[in-house]
Amino acid sequence: MIKVKNLHKYYGEVHLFKGINFDIERGEVIVFIGPSGSGKSTFLRCINGLEYFQEGEIAVNNIGLHSINRLRPSKEDMETIRKIRLRVGVVFQQFNLFPHMTVLENIIEAPTRVLNIDSDKAVEDALSLLKRINIEKKAQSYPDELSGGEQQRVAIARALAMKPEAMLFDEPTSSLDPEMVGEVLAVIKNLVSEGMTTLIATHEMDFAREIADKVVVFDHGDIVEVGAPEDIFTNPKKERTKIFLNRILKR
Amino acid sequence: MKKILRILSLLTVLIIILYWTVPSKSDISPIEKIKKRGYLLWGSDAEGGAPYVFPDPKNPSKLIGFEVDLANAIARELGVEARQSQNAWDSLLPALKRGDFDIAMNGIEITAQREAEVLFSMPYYIYTEQLVVRKNDTQIKNINDLKGKKVGTLSGAVAQDILMKIGGVDVKVYSGQVEPYEDLAIGRLDAVLLDLPIAAYYAKPNPKLKYTGHPVGEGFYGIAIKKENKEFKNKIDEIFIKLLKSGELKKIYKKWDMWDKTQENLFQQIKTSEGFVSLQESKKAPLYTFFPNLLKGAGITILISVSSMALAITLGLILTVLRIYGRTPLSSVAAAYIEIYRGTPLLIQLYILYYGLPNIGISLNPLTAAFIGLGMNYAAYESELYRAGINAVPKGQMEAALSLGMSQSLAVKRIIMPQAIRIAFPGITNDFIALFKDSSLVSVIAMVELTKTYSILAATTLRFFELGLIVAFLYFAMSYPLSLLARRLEEKLMGHKR
Ligand SMILES: Nc1ncnc2c1ncn2[C@@H]1O[C@H](COP(=O)(O)OP(=O)(O)OP(=O)(O)O)[C@@H](O)[C@H]1O
Ligand SMILES: [Mg+2]
Repeated sequence: MIKVKNLHKYYGEVHLFKGINFDIERGEVIVFIGPSGSGKSTFLRCINGLEYFQEGEIAVNNIGLHSINRLRPSKEDMETIRKIRLRVGVVFQQFNLFPHMTVLENIIEAPTRVLNIDSDKAVEDALSLLKRINIEKKAQSYPDELSGGEQQRVAIARALAMKPEAMLFDEPTSSLDPEMVGEVLAVIKNLVSEGMTTLIATHEMDFAREIADKVVVFDHGDIVEVGAPEDIFTNPKKERTKIFLNRILKR
Repeated sequence: MKKILRILSLLTVLIIILYWTVPSKSDISPIEKIKKRGYLLWGSDAEGGAPYVFPDPKNPSKLIGFEVDLANAIARELGVEARQSQNAWDSLLPALKRGDFDIAMNGIEITAQREAEVLFSMPYYIYTEQLVVRKNDTQIKNINDLKGKKVGTLSGAVAQDILMKIGGVDVKVYSGQVEPYEDLAIGRLDAVLLDLPIAAYYAKPNPKLKYTGHPVGEGFYGIAIKKENKEFKNKIDEIFIKLLKSGELKKIYKKWDMWDKTQENLFQQIKTSEGFVSLQESKKAPLYTFFPNLLKGAGITILISVSSMALAITLGLILTVLRIYGRTPLSSVAAAYIEIYRGTPLLIQLYILYYGLPNIGISLNPLTAAFIGLGMNYAAYESELYRAGINAVPKGQMEAALSLGMSQSLAVKRIIMPQAIRIAFPGITNDFIALFKDSSLVSVIAMVELTKTYSILAATTLRFFELGLIVAFLYFAMSYPLSLLARRLEEKLMGHKR
């Protein structure tokens, strides 16, 4: 469903991705791990066009996104990127809820304004989403009246309201207090169990092991190793994977 | 797309307003034009004061003065009415040249320099310069005693040249004719040299001051007419000769206590008349007689501030969006606009707009020029406030909006701007109050708002103190509710976010 071909990405002079190839099937759950600064976030951001790349091709559902060498993409490129974004939901580490809107308004904003869904219908859908994540009582609250865990769950609901075919999570629990990590992971697990194609960058190794179909190890912009969770965590083949896991599991 | 449409429609409205206010040019002769119009438009500065043109202390919305009488007589001879057009004295000739009025008549001395710019009618008054000193002064007997003394006069007046020629005189130049005498009375000056009619009105009744020496110099006041209107000048001269022969001119001068031997050179007959309003009288008029004028000035101040702030807020928003999100040529144009408008004085911008644009065929009326001038200037500042607001919105907000499939323009409109405006709001209300007070600057382009009304009235009556307090109170009474309202709105906006 998502095909990445020969992806090259530069940050100024720094050549981060030197030709990444990677395919994701519909319904797959891929977890990206690796040291800080290895390129996990950048990879996810390239897929939905929040970062431009200089060489290669990314296709989501056969909508092809080509390399963009200019400072600003052309109008047509922008439209292509937008089409991809409509199919891929994103959840950020910092939640990024809209602070001037209530929870409900956050959720119905894009469905009503982008998909032109009638607002009664959008509200109805939003409330049932909120019910699924157990915070329908907070529909009329503003984001800063919510706990971090609640905010992240609302952010997930907001992305789901656009009925995406795949979801990208970039360290969804990294800025949460430990006692709230569980409730967010539970929502993601639930989503995965319904068959959502899911890409997650995370430092939660237990969670990765439990949920992933495939684990992808990044280091210095390279994909070092790809494998089933048991293989990666118990029997890694590559030296760089071993070093990384040793360091992180000791902590 | 919607945004572009909105911008376009706004521009269209602006252009329509512009066209509306550009007077149509035609080739018919000035006399025919005046007759068709039904009134003669004459330019002068009521702030210059008595006895030339000034508000009647008994009824300040009416102008009186010997030049008002003259204008009425000329208009009558042309078969029309006379209407005064208020203009700063310094810029009477530029305004005449751009066609703001048919003639300029306001104690304008005929000089070679001015004759190079405009036509003058035959002289309508022979003025001399009168030296005035404090009553107890015994040193200064005539202008030859002025070396090393502080002497006040008017900027651009012939008296200034005379003083300069003496040499060694510390010449203090004023822009109004009241202030030199005030400063002389309290000892800031040693003497004042000004046209006799001015001295007659302002110095003669003042118990602290006296005339000294004989009048010096001799020159002529003339009516200024556009260079190309030779035929019109001849007509005005014809009318003058008629008024002269009938004795009407002399009657007018008598009425204003301006008749002296010198005038014999121009006229022969002498008759008397009544109706002269003395300074003493205007000093005693009850304050309420000035209220209608002051309130009208306040109304104009409000009109100008509110309309130009509305322009500033909208134009500022457009500039910001173009600057931050626009593609190269547009964003550079917006950035240049902002830097130029912030980097040059508002006063210069107003001058260019009002006196400069006519050179390339665009002539705005004062109200439009004030609205556009203030609005365009403040737009640059509002734009910077919006930009600071936008920069204060976390980057993640735009990313979240885009990743939900919103277009950039929708994201700006729905997600970024509402947050940015909340952040910029206190600065914007602050600017509104500043603009409100800055609106007094537009008096330089012949807009008679509250401050200008004050200076005209105060110059005629010398009641700077009482009128000043009233005007200050009026400003406060307008700006204070405004800042209360702004605070209320601010709380409401913030309440929504918290
Ligand atoms: N906007 C940027 N400009 C320049 N360099 C950047 C930018 N964003 C990321 N980088 C660099 O690219 C590399 C990959 O960063 P990225 O954020 O993708 O890593 P990551 O694997 O997500 O790390 P973390 O686990 O800390 O989130 C890092 O070296 C980082 O410094
Ligand atoms: Mg990251």
